[in-house]
Amino acid sequence: MQADPVFQLFEQVEFILIAGIVIVLAYLALEHKEIVYAAFFFGFMASIVAGFFLLLEAPFIAGMQIAVYTGGISALIIFGVLLLPRAQDSSLETFPSGRKRKIGLLLSGFVAAISATLALLFPWAESFDEIVVDMSQDLGALAEWLWVENSIYVQMIAIIMITSLIGAVALLKMDKAEQMGSIQGEFGIEAEVEIEDEPEPEPESVDEEPEPEATEEEDA
Amino acid sequence: MRLFVDFVPVLVWAILAIVLVVVMLLASWVLRPHVLQNSEKTSSYECGEEPIGPARISYPYNYFIYTVLFVVVDVMGAFLWLLASSTLLWPTGPNPQELVWQVILFILIVMGGIGFVMKKLPEAALDGKETLEQYRKAKAEREKHTIAGGH
Amino acid sequence: MVPLSWYLVVAFILIGLGAYGMMVKRNLIRILIGAEIMGNGVNIALVAFALYSPTFNLTAQGLIILVISVAAAHTALALVLMLMYNRRYDTVDLGRPVDREVA
Repeated sequence: MQADPVFQLFEQVEFILIAGIVIVLAYLALEHKEIVYAAFFFGFMASIVAGFFLLLEAPFIAGMQIAVYTGGISALIIFGVLLLPRAQDSSLETFPSGRKRKIGLLLSGFVAAISATLALLFPWAESFDEIVVDMSQDLGALAEWLWVENSIYVQMIAIIMITSLIGAVALLKMDKAEQMGSIQGEFGIEAEVEIEDEPEPEPESVDEEPEPEATEEEDA
Repeated sequence: MRLFVDFVPVLVWAILAIVLVVVMLLASWVLRPHVLQNSEKTSSYECGEEPIGPARISYPYNYFIYTVLFVVVDVMGAFLWLLASSTLLWPTGPNPQELVWQVILFILIVMGGIGFVMKKLPEAALDGKETLEQYRKAKAEREKHTIAGGH
Repeated sequence: MVPLSWYLVVAFILIGLGAYGMMVKRNLIRILIGAEIMGNGVNIALVAFALYSPTFNLTAQGLIILVISVAAAHTALALVLMLMYNRRYDTVDLGRPVDREVA
């Protein structure tokens, strides 16, 4: 199978195709003007990277990549875009000062240079013993590695998961006054024009600034 | 390489799904009447009044917490899927004694976190019922105020 | 077989793109997307090592499973921090004019 030239060519063509799609999608995910499109491109890219993992003989990791990245993280990012309406303003793309942009480009170029050195110049191929890989597809060995020998890391992952969950609930907690402010919005519960001689619109709006009430009375 | 060839039907199916969606959207675009849109036609509808302010709802932080909950359960499912697709827990296979305790501990930790969130969630973010109650209470107060002031 | 260096080139390109997205962009959501792209690049490198080295085969695959789940958890927390930032400053902009508080 490894010595078959047709299969080798086929594999290389597939590799170049998938790699090209992944890089194009990653660039689009960063550079497209609208955030919703960018988040969708990121989710799509995560699925194609799962195809990469299949090419690399790791079926379980491909499944986990689709389940967690495309199904979970991509949905989280789209929810974030939903809850942050200011993020859909497409004018926030570059810093206005040229110095910050140059510093950012320099730093990212530095990181890319380090990773290029590690990827291309480090003699990876010589530091591994042999090139023959066994193509066993059963997940028993992996399950044994994870659950029998290193199960302490699995429990740590469980604690990390509940940390993020409890952190999300605890940090997004609003007290009652702030909640009422967020229901009523900027103009009070109803921006009605018929209630003109209202000395004080709602009993719960003690935390609101007096400025929207002035606008409401001005509208009347 | 063999693995990728095994999964080519999945790729064909995915391409067919995308083609189906694109064809449906294209067909509806072709069959639609193309009318010019101006700003008055595309503005939001508010029962004939002039719309004041942006049409934003109150922040639905509840949905975000449920999404985080889904990710946590998803990762837990991936770990348990790995365990279930092997022969480690079969009575005939190699069944180490402490493996069952590890699985129970893992599930208990994650369930403990989920239970805590389920208890604390109604206090942390607003519910739909609560919002409606507060709205009705505020409206009743205001009407009582206008009725009392009108006399 | 596809040589190992090809996979590492793809991983390095993704890491570079992710670093660029994290350091040059101003919108917070794009920074998060850049972080995730970088994570994907690292995962590709790890799986390539899992294939090409029989001693690290299981170790690298197990490590990837742990890394993917930790990435999911920290993405959730990063989004929560962004929501708090938005609640405080009412913008999702990193380059907002900083309000200087009078001492």
